Amino acid sequence: MAEQFVGKSSEFKDGERQIIQIGKREIGVFRHEGEFYAYSNICLHQGGPACEGLTIANVEERLRPDKTSMGLFFSDKDMNFVCPWHGYEYDMKTGEHISDRSQKLRKYQVLTKGDDVYVVA
Amino acid sequence: MSSPDRSSAKRTAAGAKPVKTASVQTASVKATSIKAAPKASRKPSMTNEPSPQEKADFVKAMSKGIQPNTEAARKVDAKKRAAPEKSGEAETVKILRKIPAPQAVVSTAESDEALRVAAMIESALAAGDLNCLQPHAQQALIGALCRLYAANAEAGNRFPVVSGRTAVTATDVMVMCGALLKAVDLQVFELGMWQSWSNN
Repeated sequence: MAEQFVGKSSEFKDGERQIIQIGKREIGVFRHEGEFYAYSNICLHQGGPACEGLTIANVEERLRPDKTSMGLFFSDKDMNFVCPWHGYEYDMKTGEHISDRSQKLRKYQVLTKGDDVYVVA
Repeated sequence: MSSPDRSSAKRTAAGAKPVKTASVQTASVKATSIKAAPKASRKPSMTNEPSPQEKADFVKAMSKGIQPNTEAARKVDAKKRAAPEKSGEAETVKILRKIPAPQAVVSTAESDEALRVAAMIESALAAGDLNCLQPHAQQALIGALCRLYAANAEAGNRFPVVSGRTAVTATDVMVMCGALLKAVDLQVFELGMWQSWSNN
């Protein structure tokens, strides 16, 4: 596992993504709320480009104190990204599939040294 | 055809050490000096020179290559495990695509006011208060928003009618669309005709 330079932090705006290739591996690097996340760009479902679809807030059901539903709302803090092929949705912070947390994309460590961003792959 | 370097090397291998007569010499001069040197001055090698049998074994082993389950094979495996990336070509990072962030929302005083009203309606709905806006206020808001959205669409400024961050359900949409069509005395059939004729 080597640190691979992927770019400058100052050139990586919040909400931006880069799809990079290191050797034979394709990796999606996200910047979300100032943090960097990197995942394998191969969807667990059928191998689609998992990191290239929509980014969308997590849908959650809000309940009243008596446990009756107030309806479905988009989360203010949890963000997901969606594979554009068949809609497999993954947690931005963990890479886990949101409806089956046992399935998750391969996560790569991202290091920032000064202004430089590295992916350990 | 052998070059001076090769002839020198052969002699060295045979045990004849070249005699250094000057600090700077060309290879051809070295070769000449070896020939000219008397046999007595050629000292036998003091290094651990391998025997002819060992040399022959070495050549055989080299031609065979590394055999499995040998010490050499184990060492090579250990090196590969320690540095798997170095065994092949050096990996390079290639940027395939850059996907920009979604467009930032431009805020205006009027938009902020509208968002405050929307948030107030949402919270009232969540609390079960259906009378937060009286019917005449709802009619004014729906009518104004309908005209504003249509004017934008006609001008080519098209955007999704509801944002991603909404809890509008399919039933809500059908109820609202049906009411809007009824308000202007349109049938679903006419809507379909207009959509197909105007490519909308």
